[in-house]
This record gives sequence, structure tokens and C-alpha cells, in this order.
Amino acid sequence: MKYKTTIVLRDKKYEVKAGSTLLSALKKLEILPESVICVRGGELITEDSILKDGETIKLVSVISGG
Amino acid sequence: MKCKKCRGKAVINMRHHNMGLCKDDFLQWIPEQTQKHIEKQKMFTTDEKILVAVSGGKDSLALWDILQILGYQADGLYIALGIDEGISYSAESQRLTSAFANARDLKLHVVNIASDYGTDLPTLAKGTKRGRDKPCSSCGLVKRHEMNRIARDYGYDVLATGHNLDDEAATLFSNTLQWNGDYLIRQHPVLPSRDGLARKVKPLFRFYEKEMAAYALLRGIEYIYDECPFAEGSTSTQYKELLNELENKHPGAKQHFFVKFLSAKKKGLFAEPTEKIVPALHICPVCGQPTSMEGECTFCRMMGVSKS
Repeated sequence: MKYKTTIVLRDKKYEVKAGSTLLSALKKLEILPESVICVRGGELITEDSILKDGETIKLVSVISGG
Repeated sequence: MKCKKCRGKAVINMRHHNMGLCKDDFLQWIPEQTQKHIEKQKMFTTDEKILVAVSGGKDSLALWDILQILGYQADGLYIALGIDEGISYSAESQRLTSAFANARDLKLHVVNIASDYGTDLPTLAKGTKRGRDKPCSSCGLVKRHEMNRIARDYGYDVLATGHNLDDEAATLFSNTLQWNGDYLIRQHPVLPSRDGLARKVKPLFRFYEKEMAAYALLRGIEYIYDECPFAEGSTSTQYKELLNELENKHPGAKQHFFVKFLSAKKKGLFAEPTEKIVPALHICPVCGQPTSMEGECTFCRMMGVSKS
């Protein structure tokens, strides 16, 4: 993949194509947007954000139990 | 995406409200909405003393934070259950809760099950039929008992928990799948006090779990990211995931499911509580707390089982 973005959820890292939206990346990874919040450089971002080459997006799972 | 209020850059998209908000407007909107629902549901007033059950998780710490912003007299209660499971779960959640309270100079009650009762929750659960496979039901029992005890002993008017809409929708889904009439009748964001049981309220009942996680993160609240090791793969987590799949296809589905249930109850579509459905409570001769059966309450019997 020439232009890539890294997506991190818990201990897992995924590489997706840069230039597309975060929403389409989540769809490809089969992650429901409702179940995560997305953080870029410490800032929350919405799912329509365009992924940039070389950046890392951190996903924080929102579901808690107990 | 633009903020619906100021047209700045949105940090959250709430499709069920057809609204995106920027950080500042979102952090203003959450307390405003909480206040609106506190008043609408007549949960409590600024004259009353509130005990907030805090677990170190995002919801309960966010609730405590919001109640402070809104000017309520809210103290915290942390119940140390002694859950370790290789990740020091209880120790870490207590550390985060204490750090939150200390940083804001808030009063925090801490109940330590091991030092108060001589056993931790996992050990206690293994010794009882109800908790042999998983300690979750024993955990719920211990928490309910101790929350009510502290609320009563310290004269709090109301007990507040951080249940969000996803928690409530998952509970409703579970009770509906089983047509559990008793629980359906009792499920409500406000349970009035009766016969020695403190009033219980859930001020966050209209917020999605995602909104509470976003609020905690944007407010810089440090909370425990790990879920309770015993809750992993639990039925309630599975129901939340199912409801999120539905929400993804039909924005607002979770909200409608729970809010319309409350409306239906209000309109009388479910049976009103009667003496038959809500039996009279008795007083436990050991701890003095209300119990549904005559004699020792389940909590005291469980503690007796674990000690023997």
C-alpha cells in the first residue's frame, strides 16, 4: 500500500489506505462507528475525516461492562 | 463536519440527534441536557445530598464531574471488591477514583469488602451457588447492599449511578427477550425510596455510551479503559453490540427503544405496580436493611456462606 494510515484499537494495529474517510476504513475493518471514539493526535475526530498518509488514528472502545 | 451551533469543527457526530458539535459546545450541551432530565424526571434538587456510586469507569466519573459543574452536593462512594485477575482491576480503578476526588477536593467514601467482611468478591462468589460460574450477580448484590447501607448510614437523600442509555437499552432488551415482567415494571431512571431503600436515579440515562466516553476524554478525566475482566463476553456486552449494529443501520434505534418504552409505561401499557408484583419488604435481623424475604437478607446469608 503506497499511502497508508495506521489504525490502533487496543493492542491491534491495522493498516488502511490513506485518502479515504475514516468511516470507510472502519467499515472495511468491520468496526462499528457506534462502538468507538476516534482520536487523532489527542483530538477527537468525526468519521467523515479524511485519513492522511503516515498518520496514526487511535480508536477507544466505548463499551464497558461491570 | 461542522458544529451545529457555532459552525466550527465538530468533534462528535450524534446521528440520532442529527447533530455534530465542537468540543466547547459538546461540553456545554452534556451538562445542560443532564440538568434538563434531572428536572424533567424530578430526580433531586440542589438542597438534597447525593451519593454517587463511582467505579473508576467513564460513566460514573463523568456523572460526578457533571453534578459538580451543575452545583449539586454530590459525594462519591467507591466499593473495593478485590478483583485482580492479573490486571489489578480493583486497585487501578480505586486509584483513578481517588485521584479524581483528590484533584477536585471531593468527599469519597471507600468500602473495602475484604477488610470489612474478611473476603474479596471472587472468593465470596465461588462459595455461593449464585456466583459459582461468574461473580457478576454476587457483585451486583454486594454493590446494591453496600450502596444502600452507606446512603442510609450517612443520611444521603438519593443514590445516583452512571448508567447510560446503552446500559438501559441492553437491560430492556434482555428483560424483553425473557418477558421478565417484574423487571420491566421496575426499570426506570428514578426509583423512589421506600421501606428503607434509598431513592435511586440515573441522570445519564439519555446519553449514548459513546457520548459519555467522548465527554470523559474531552474533559481530561482519567478512567479505567479495561472493562471488568468478569464482564468480558457477558450477555449484556453482546446485547450492546447487537443494538449498536441496529443503531448503525437505523440511527436513533437505541434511543427510540428505551425512550418509547418509558412513554409506553407512562401511558399504562404495562401493569401498574401492585402489592402482588411489588411485595412488602422485611427488615434483615442481622444488618437491618430491607429484604424481600423474612429472615436474613441474601447479602448476610452469602457472607455467612463464605465465612463457613
